[in-house]
Amino acid sequence: MSYFGLDRIFKLMKTIKDYGGLRASLYKLYRIDNLRPGRLVATDKFGNKYYENNAYFYGRNRWVEYAPKYGLDYDASQVPAEWYGWLHYKTDYLPSEDPGRPKYKWMAEYTENLTGTKLQYMPYTTTNPKIQAWVPPSKK
Amino acid sequence: MLRTALGKALKGAQLSPKHARVMSQQPKKPEQIEVFIDDIPVKVDPGTTVLQAAAMVGVEIPRFCYHERLAVAGNCRMCLVEVEKSPKPVAACAMPVMKGWRVKTDSEMTKKAREGIMEFLLINHPLDCPICDQGGECDLQDQSMAFGSDKSRFTDIEHSGKRAVEDKDIGPLIKTIMTRCIHCTRCIRFASEVAGVDDLGTTGRGNDMQVGTYVEKMFLSEMSGNIIDLCPVGALTSKPYSFTARPWEIRKIDSIDVLDAVGSNIVVSSRTGEVMRIMPRVNEEINEEWIADKSRFSYDGLKRQRLVTPMLRDNTGELRPVDWEAALLTVAKQIKNAGANVGAIAGGLADAEVLVAVKDLLNRLGSEALCTEHTFPMDGSGTDLRSSYLLNNGIAHAEEADFVLLVGTNPRFEAPLLNSRLRKGYVHNELEVALIGPKVDLRYQYKHLGDGTDVLQQLIGGGHEVSKKLKSAKKPLIIVGSEVLERPDGAAILAVIQKLSASTKAQEGWKVLNVLHKVASQVAALDIGYNPGVDKIRENNPKVLLLLGADEGAIEKADLCDNTFVVYLGHHGDHGATIADAILPGAAYTEKQATYVNTEGRAQQTLVAVTPPGRAREDWKVIRALSEIVGAKLPYDNLNEIRDRLDEVAPHLTKYGEAENANFFKQAQDLAKNVKTQLDCTPLDVKLKDLSDYFMTDSISRASPTMAKCVQAVLKQKQSKF
Amino acid sequence: MLPTLRTVANGLRRSLGLRSLQTTSTLQSDNLFVHRDTPEDNPDIPFQFTTENKKRADAILAIYPEGHKRAAMLPLLDLAQRQHGWLPISAMHHVADILGLPKMRVYEVATFYTMFMRKPTGKYHVQVCTTTPCWLRGSDEIWNTIRENLKLENGETSKDMMFTLSEVECLGACVNAPMVQINDDYYEDLTVEDTVEILCDLKEGRKPKPGPRNGRFAAEPIGEPTSLKGEPPAAGFGVRPDL
Repeated sequence: MSYFGLDRIFKLMKTIKDYGGLRASLYKLYRIDNLRPGRLVATDKFGNKYYENNAYFYGRNRWVEYAPKYGLDYDASQVPAEWYGWLHYKTDYLPSEDPGRPKYKWMAEYTENLTGTKLQYMPYTTTNPKIQAWVPPSKK
Repeated sequence: MLRTALGKALKGAQLSPKHARVMSQQPKKPEQIEVFIDDIPVKVDPGTTVLQAAAMVGVEIPRFCYHERLAVAGNCRMCLVEVEKSPKPVAACAMPVMKGWRVKTDSEMTKKAREGIMEFLLINHPLDCPICDQGGECDLQDQSMAFGSDKSRFTDIEHSGKRAVEDKDIGPLIKTIMTRCIHCTRCIRFASEVAGVDDLGTTGRGNDMQVGTYVEKMFLSEMSGNIIDLCPVGALTSKPYSFTARPWEIRKIDSIDVLDAVGSNIVVSSRTGEVMRIMPRVNEEINEEWIADKSRFSYDGLKRQRLVTPMLRDNTGELRPVDWEAALLTVAKQIKNAGANVGAIAGGLADAEVLVAVKDLLNRLGSEALCTEHTFPMDGSGTDLRSSYLLNNGIAHAEEADFVLLVGTNPRFEAPLLNSRLRKGYVHNELEVALIGPKVDLRYQYKHLGDGTDVLQQLIGGGHEVSKKLKSAKKPLIIVGSEVLERPDGAAILAVIQKLSASTKAQEGWKVLNVLHKVASQVAALDIGYNPGVDKIRENNPKVLLLLGADEGAIEKADLCDNTFVVYLGHHGDHGATIADAILPGAAYTEKQATYVNTEGRAQQTLVAVTPPGRAREDWKVIRALSEIVGAKLPYDNLNEIRDRLDEVAPHLTKYGEAENANFFKQAQDLAKNVKTQLDCTPLDVKLKDLSDYFMTDSISRASPTMAKCVQAVLKQKQSKF
Repeated sequence: MLPTLRTVANGLRRSLGLRSLQTTSTLQSDNLFVHRDTPEDNPDIPFQFTTENKKRADAILAIYPEGHKRAAMLPLLDLAQRQHGWLPISAMHHVADILGLPKMRVYEVATFYTMFMRKPTGKYHVQVCTTTPCWLRGSDEIWNTIRENLKLENGETSKDMMFTLSEVECLGACVNAPMVQINDDYYEDLTVEDTVEILCDLKEGRKPKPGPRNGRFAAEPIGEPTSLKGEPPAAGFGVRPDL
């Protein structure tokens, strides 16, 4: 079978099936330019899905699929800090299994990089305006 | 700094009108003597000082205490130079040259003397240049670089610190850091000679000497700011300007002051689109190198109460910001509906460009109702002959006069620089001054003739005690304030004064009749052909009334019909803007290139120092845009074209810097004979009587917090015992 | 006091190897050259010349020609000081009014001359000369004697407003050193005993005799003349014979 390369077709079909059919797979292809079979390792609280497939070589065997809510506006800063280590091979523990991971009440919720969005931080002037405009006296 | 001072010294020595007059009066010129400055021969008049002689050949001698417009003090010793055969170096500022002297300004002895003096000065001067406002424009810095030694023997070995002197509080305008004072006494001499306010002096002696007022006292002068320029170090600096900018960060634009009718030449310093300070510029014919405090310090009014966007009054009667399109369309619609029934009132700060643009626009619409806020009698020759409304003899010549009659004016506050000329004449030229009007403090002695109009009658009759003086004087001046000419019997007063002027025996070319205006726009407006006074508006009751910065309340809402549409074109939200139905924001004098004609008929132009704030635009451009929408398009699109139009209307309006002479005194007097008005017996009065009245007189100075502080400080000083 | 403290503090710091702090120097004089309103000295306190002094003032003014009346400022200020004991600001104002001058011109003069006392001064102003000739002849002892006797430091005035003590520079009586000036009188050729006696007399209301205390009349040598004792030589003395 493998001689004729039919296994690749089966693999493709399995992948398509795993993804939830032809339509879903085409959408995925459109969104992330890739269709890869993999094991869903976990989903984080933002909805990002983390996959692993050790059939690929090191460096390509872990990847993330961003949550559908991001649409095409996904970027690397949407991966929360705790998943960063696993994704970049700093550790093989998943965040939930990692014994050394600090957890404190005061730790802030992870936020993605908001630069360029409406929610970005805009500094405002603290000095008086150079020109003070006249405010017409009100009739009342 | 030094170079300009040198240039001034040169001018002072050669070009000052006073000097020239002394020369012309003497029957024969005294023989000139030859001296050698660094082996350059120069012929000078006897009595010339070494410093002046050196300036003539372009040799600069450093100085601190010497100032060409003040008396020689000779106490800083910085100008020491070697004179051949003299055992000691001599002080160049105080020593008149003798025949054949060889002055060495570059010899070893001179250098050593300068270095020694500089070393002593710096021992008693703090090393706080980095936090000093004078840093970068400090004579001490410059001269210690140029003439000082590279080291000092002052080691402060006892760690006792340097001399320290308590700071003085001399008002809200001048900040004093007296430790920096090098005792040049320029401020003291200015106060006593030019300002006539002997409040500054030295107390103590030797190492304890300090410059100050001894008692806690405000420096009560309308020209106090000039001591900031005079101070060669950072002992006297500007309070409003303190710690705001450095001289090397600043852009300097030459301009003209418009807060009084003198037209002082100024330099507007700006940084990051903001006016940082205003300083005087030398103009021997107008302001020498002084300016009045209102001109210098009211610039912060340019940043307050500004009109930055067009506004329209909505249905509820509130003024709402709109964009230019809406504002212009609305105003144009009103003007179109009104047809020829449109009027305009020009305020005191309007420039000649907008005046001519408005006149052209209204004439095209068929209206002649163009008025100025300040009135002027129209009987007799009225404003047809320029000589009737100008300060004909010029400001600079006022100091040459031998008798001055002031009628209903307080020149100290209406034109401080004219008053400084009169004071100069009083101090140096034995000028006698008489005044008809309220008894005010002019800072020199004058004969108060009373405030009734009957005094004028007596003068005409020749029965008055000063009649003889007036008749016999070779250079008499009669200066009449524009304010008394605004009275109902103004025409009669003017006629009497014209008659009185004609009866004097002034020398050839001397013009006796002088009118002192209070606002910068009036002469240009009358030149262009505006009707003085708002009577025409009251009679015609126009449907649309255009106010060109008219803020003095000459016309109230109650004077107009209910349906009159008032358009205000100006830069400050003041009286005019409050009664307006539409506001078109214009540019202030620092924000436009505009022509102003001062009270002596001298056209001068302001230059753009900063851009108008927000959506404000240059005034004449607003009128030009409006004219196109109204359908009476004005034929000028840029400044040159409107200046061409000004040139057509009155050619002198574009001859910048020259005072256009006016004549026809005789004809004016003949016409004045037809004046029917009789003098009434109400006493002559002026509005500006006291220093506290002086600071806030127009929309700019009324918006200025500094000026408000000045008024408070003057009122507070009045409570004081000193 | 302050300089001493500063020197000590700086010495301590230096011995500890620390950098000394820069401090501002005190004024060189213990007089203040600006006016401060005090209960004794403020412009509300009226000052008028007495009728007698008014006559004197008129006489002083009469000396100076019209246009130069301001030259009477020094004698008038002196007169005011003599009348009041010291020179309050209202006296300066009064003199300025008499002369028709700006007040500042009077302040300038009054602060320039150290003999115008601008703060309350005792009935007896004891001025001790401590310049070189007096110092060589023992003015330090005189100074210490007076200080201890009156319990005053330099510049201080006693609480009963009787004495003010000042250390002054040369009063021009070097030939009679050491000496003190008390008001207008010079007390010269002093010893410690003389000084105590003078002060006692003053305290008890007597007026001690001014002048030298060692028997001299004025500045002549003690005892007999030491030079120029013979007749002066006749004309031609010491001239070359061939002339």
